[in-house]
Amino acid sequence: MSQLTKEIVTDPLVDNNPIVLQVLGICSALAVTSNLKTALLMSVAVIAVVSFSNLFVSLIRTQIPSSVRIIVQMTIIASLVIVVDQLLKAFAYETSKQLSVFVGLIITNCIVMGRAEAFAMKNPPFASFMDGLGNGLGYSLILILVGIVRELLGAGSLMGVTIFQTVNEGGWYVANGLMLLPPSAFFVIGLLIWALRTWKPVQQEAPDFKILPSHSEEGA
Amino acid sequence: MSGMRAFLDRLHPHFVKGGRFEKYYAIYEMVDTFLYTPSDVTTRAPHVRDALDVKRLMTYVVLATIPVILMSWYNTGYQANLAMTEMGVAETSGWRGAVIGMLNIGYSPDSVFAAMFHGFLYFLPIYIVTLAAGGICEVIFATVRGHEVNEGFLVTSMLYTLIMPPTIPLWQVALGIIFGVVIGKEVFGGTGKNFLNPALTGRAFLFFAYPAQISGDSVWTAVEGFSGATALSLSASGGVEAITASGVSWMNAFLGTIQGSLGETSALACLIGGVFLMYTGVANWRIVAGVMMGMVVTSTLLNLVGSDTNPMFAMPWYWHLVVGGFAFGMVFMATDPVSAAMTNLGRWYFGALIGFMVVLIRVVNPAFPEGMMLAILFANLFAPLIDYFVVKSNIKRRERRIQASVQ
Amino acid sequence: MLKKFLETPNDNKIKTITVVAVLCLVCSIFVSASAVALKPIQQKNKQVEKKTKILEIAGLMERGGDVDELFKQFTPKVVELSTGEYVDDIDPTTYDQRKAAKKPELSVPVGRSDDIASIKRQAKYATVYLVEQDDQVKKIVIPVHGYGLWSTLYGYMALDGDGKTVTGFGFYEHAETPGLGGEVDNPKWKGLWPGKVVYGENGDVQLRVVKGNVDPSKPGSEHKVDGLAGATLTSQGVSNLVQFWLGENGFGPYLEKFIERNG
Repeated sequence: MSQLTKEIVTDPLVDNNPIVLQVLGICSALAVTSNLKTALLMSVAVIAVVSFSNLFVSLIRTQIPSSVRIIVQMTIIASLVIVVDQLLKAFAYETSKQLSVFVGLIITNCIVMGRAEAFAMKNPPFASFMDGLGNGLGYSLILILVGIVRELLGAGSLMGVTIFQTVNEGGWYVANGLMLLPPSAFFVIGLLIWALRTWKPVQQEAPDFKILPSHSEEGA
Repeated sequence: MSGMRAFLDRLHPHFVKGGRFEKYYAIYEMVDTFLYTPSDVTTRAPHVRDALDVKRLMTYVVLATIPVILMSWYNTGYQANLAMTEMGVAETSGWRGAVIGMLNIGYSPDSVFAAMFHGFLYFLPIYIVTLAAGGICEVIFATVRGHEVNEGFLVTSMLYTLIMPPTIPLWQVALGIIFGVVIGKEVFGGTGKNFLNPALTGRAFLFFAYPAQISGDSVWTAVEGFSGATALSLSASGGVEAITASGVSWMNAFLGTIQGSLGETSALACLIGGVFLMYTGVANWRIVAGVMMGMVVTSTLLNLVGSDTNPMFAMPWYWHLVVGGFAFGMVFMATDPVSAAMTNLGRWYFGALIGFMVVLIRVVNPAFPEGMMLAILFANLFAPLIDYFVVKSNIKRRERRIQASVQ
Repeated sequence: MLKKFLETPNDNKIKTITVVAVLCLVCSIFVSASAVALKPIQQKNKQVEKKTKILEIAGLMERGGDVDELFKQFTPKVVELSTGEYVDDIDPTTYDQRKAAKKPELSVPVGRSDDIASIKRQAKYATVYLVEQDDQVKKIVIPVHGYGLWSTLYGYMALDGDGKTVTGFGFYEHAETPGLGGEVDNPKWKGLWPGKVVYGENGDVQLRVVKGNVDPSKPGSEHKVDGLAGATLTSQGVSNLVQFWLGENGFGPYLEKFIERNG
């Protein structure tokens, strides 16, 4: 893999993450992360849709009339989502039932549309595919992290396998019920953003206005 | 005292910029200003001249909670001792039993002192844990961010302690206050910039995270295995009749000898504190009046609507006032100057919204018997919006006046 | 010709329409092909899931066992709820009680005062699953549902061959609060049900969920199950749906006849 393609894939993981930097695709991140299994399956679905939609859009990019380009992209994305949904229902039935409408809602996920419009329309197929893969992985990374935190703290397990024996099952761990409710994903993602921006201060946004200090400086 | 001053002054150079302990200035500043009036003055506009500074404001709130604190000791112990007499338990086990046995105080529910002492032994650990866990967070943030540790935390920790059930595990107390301080306050920039009441944020966290330890029937009395529903949860199933049938009169609920969180049971104690706060101007009377009005109007309206299946509809306003955390929330939580509305007209709307929501949640929502905490947090979220519209409408009115005078 | 078409400017009207039409055609073929090809697998999944749930609740699920094979122990039968008689002209393998409850011709409204489970309409027919051995019914699984706090709970109850002793109970679909009402899925709580007796001395439904814990030494404890801590309304809902489905508007008439026949 050339240096450039490598960058296309790795850049959206940390430096330009679609969820924590661009704050896109939050809706599904809240809904499907109450356990790691659904988070993983959702990740696979999004990676598939975003990379292949990028690939197909890029393949026909020279032939797409600009007046209907959004509709053309939507058609491709929607078809891919339906196919992915059907596949999940056939081969991962249990978990896909928990995902319910959220697989279908990938159609409206800003990341997919955003990458098709911003990258695939201007770049060759292979690079576009890699860009989709990178962004899908960036999305997945956050989803999986949030899924791990929520399932571990909320139910004491990972992938349904008990890690902390909960009190209800005769163990010591008092499960944190808040973690199983969707709002907790807000907190977890918020804390992740906080941690990431402390680590990489480049990502911090400039404040809208500056508050003047109310006290005189020492000795001034 | 001058020795102390001299000691602090000697330390001073080490903590200012360039000093050895520059990083820990916040801690030095905290101790210094706790003991002495700060020497520096504001230099930039706007200047507000008032005898009331933040420190005195916070001290007044702590003073106002004294009747509630005393009542919380008495009632917690009284309920426990009463339950023990009822169940025929002679003494409690653990360190509390040891302390009470050593001092030979006993467990008579008739003795005010015995009850207060027993209650105090439940209050104290919760308060210490709150101070320690929350205080550490405060100091860490103050040190890293280079701002000062604010006295507001003294108020937050006291209020937070008073809205805990006596039996809550201490590690949950610590988690709750940490969440309240960090997520409810510090992430938004610290005291003065938080839009939620930190004490309530902490409690809300516990309420959703560990509902079994903070709601239900068995957490309100500090005796193992004793199950006693709060007046509110009784009324959720059978209306006011169910409360009176359990032997609780309106007077009991008003005085506070009922099941509930540590400090929220006594409407009387809360109201005494409230009068003090409003008299000194620390709590804004408009908010309290707004909450009261919103509650009275909404509950009376629901009384008139009536319902065959939901007995809560028939609950009159004077019962809403004395059960659950209404009085405590109205006096101490809703009036928090940082998270409430800031404009005078806005304060009326803000209060009324709380009064309306609390009755609505109590009566209509089957999942939550108590609505005060959620109602105040909800109104906190709307406070900036309320202020915005009040300010906008003021500007519009003045514009019209100017236009009228020009023409 | 293709080359000429590709070279036409993209904003040409005919080209725009053609591109969109071709794209739609390709996509629709792609989508329908996948839907048709995967349909059999999906349907099988659905069947297996339902069968697994029934097997689990009846306590007949074996680790690693073939679900279809295990399920052959059951004889599904359709029952007319109002009379309690078996109906032969409805195929039990295809009859869907949940769909039927929504169809006016296959369902009846439940009277307001009778509707303790808050289900509003109920199907006229229900599928029961019998486990027979030597012409004797050993076990019987009936579908139940009703409203909890936030959602309708759907589940099955397995009864012993005597028609009144519970041998298993559980839900396969609900949206109650995790950690509180969601504890209906807790194996420990589900384990409280087997051995409980549905009917009292005079034949009325006694089985119910109580607030707090059941004292096993007191008379009547065989009819009572511990409530879920902190989930009063879900517990109440479960109690109500059990009472409804085992009562005269539910499987009451059927179970009465069943007990007569079997005992």
